[in-house]
Amino acid sequence: MSDRPDTPAEAAGRDARSRRSESRRVAGWAEHHRWSASASLGRLLGRPFGTLMTVAVIGLALALPLAFYLLLGNVQRMGDAMGQRQAVSVFLKPGQGDAAAQLLAKSIGERADVAAVTVRTPQQGMDELAAMQGFSGALHALDDNPLPYVLQVMPKDALDAGAVQDLVTALRDERSVDMVQDSGSWRQRLDALLGLGNRIVAVLALLLSLAAVLVVGNTVRVDIAGRVEEIGVLMLVGASRSFVRRPYLYAGIWYGLLGGLVASLVAVAIELSLVAPVERLNAAYAGKLSIGALPLWLLLATPVASAVLGWVGARLVSAWQLRRLG
Amino acid sequence: MIRFDQVSKRYESGHEAISQLSFEVGDGEMAFVTGHSGAGKSTLLKLLALIERPSHGQIHLDGQNLGKVGRGGIPKLRRRIGMVFQDHRLLMDRTVFDNVELPLVIGGLAPAERGKRVRAALEKVGLLAYERQLPDTLSTGEQQRVGIARAIVARPALLIADEPTGNLDPQLAVEIMGLFAEFQQVGTTVLVASHDLPLIKRMKKRVVVLDHGRLVADVAAQEVL
Repeated sequence: MSDRPDTPAEAAGRDARSRRSESRRVAGWAEHHRWSASASLGRLLGRPFGTLMTVAVIGLALALPLAFYLLLGNVQRMGDAMGQRQAVSVFLKPGQGDAAAQLLAKSIGERADVAAVTVRTPQQGMDELAAMQGFSGALHALDDNPLPYVLQVMPKDALDAGAVQDLVTALRDERSVDMVQDSGSWRQRLDALLGLGNRIVAVLALLLSLAAVLVVGNTVRVDIAGRVEEIGVLMLVGASRSFVRRPYLYAGIWYGLLGGLVASLVAVAIELSLVAPVERLNAAYAGKLSIGALPLWLLLATPVASAVLGWVGARLVSAWQLRRLG
Repeated sequence: MIRFDQVSKRYESGHEAISQLSFEVGDGEMAFVTGHSGAGKSTLLKLLALIERPSHGQIHLDGQNLGKVGRGGIPKLRRRIGMVFQDHRLLMDRTVFDNVELPLVIGGLAPAERGKRVRAALEKVGLLAYERQLPDTLSTGEQQRVGIARAIVARPALLIADEPTGNLDPQLAVEIMGLFAEFQQVGTTVLVASHDLPLIKRMKKRVVVLDHGRLVADVAAQEVL
């Protein structure tokens, strides 16, 4: 080697060479992955029964939190349909006149947590009662209208039970208000239950994800144990440790991906099986209920997340086991 | 190509398989390593492929000091060496083609190029017609030839073989040794461990004789009677 600086042509030639060797390296790497991915898939399909068992275990384990999530979402929707959309009835003290009622309605209507306020006059109340069977005779016996003004306050949709409760308290404190009637307390209990349910789903998802990692890990462990001889041959002909490990990592990804797909399909099947009964419930509730489907992103994210879990399981076990093989 | 400098290998059991061994094999040379069983033939080959490490001394391969090759460098080193084993070491659940293809897959070659080279190697050992078969459907001699095709498919500069004719009848053994001689003719350095003296004598190549891990004779090709 001389100290003479390279001529531009030499430098260009060297650059081109290093680019070529770099692109060969990348192509070789990509080819390794392509080969490992297809080889591991081939092995999985080569023993369909065992693969099916592993995939089914992962699929059913992951379908469980999805099913709970579906159930919870629908209970929440029912709660929303029956509870949150209900107006709070504010009964004014007897003797409050039309002007006072309108004034109060206006001031309540300006609250940030209120969507709408309608004023129902005593006459409207009387008419409603009169329309009901059996009351008209009794009403005629009254000298004057005993009914108070009633404000129907519709809370904003976005309010949770606590905020509705705050609104109710505020309304109760109004001087001219006699009584406030709302369905908040059962709503609050439902929300508390739903909160608990959500926590249970989260814990369940965590535990069953761990189970999926272990299932894949164990399957890969058995697979590697059965291929000790093959691994030895691969190492003798110059395979690096990462090359030896790669098909097992892909196997983990395939197990996870297929298991996740099964979980999503099972969840959709559960969803479809709920359509008919919910339809009947819907009819009974005058069209206010409909089934809340699992969001598409969750159905798509489940196989992806599950593939990641499979990879993690395969990665942990293969690292540990190949180290033991030396 | 190969240089052993005062190399000793003592196993953990205390057995010294190789004792202060020094010898060289030139580029493109073919040599036999022979001796009784336990003379250290296999250990010598294992040291070259870094399946074992020497306890003392230095081994150079193609100018590279093997003592400086770390764990991570072993795969790369082995890709430069074609290895043939007495028990073939084939993957029994893969076809002949897939077995021979392995070193090329590890080398990261594209499928089309792999196919060409695998077929060329199989043709060389006369097994092109068997590429889709599983190894157990072949005879021992044929399996050994699959092993040889796998060893040469990546065109290594060095080919080492440990008792490659150990399980073969004399006729097949001559054919296999002839194959090795052909690879030498195209420039590959070949080192074969064998205890089959009559066969070695027929080949008229250099012979290195070991006894209890020591070099006791080094006979040049032209001096082999």
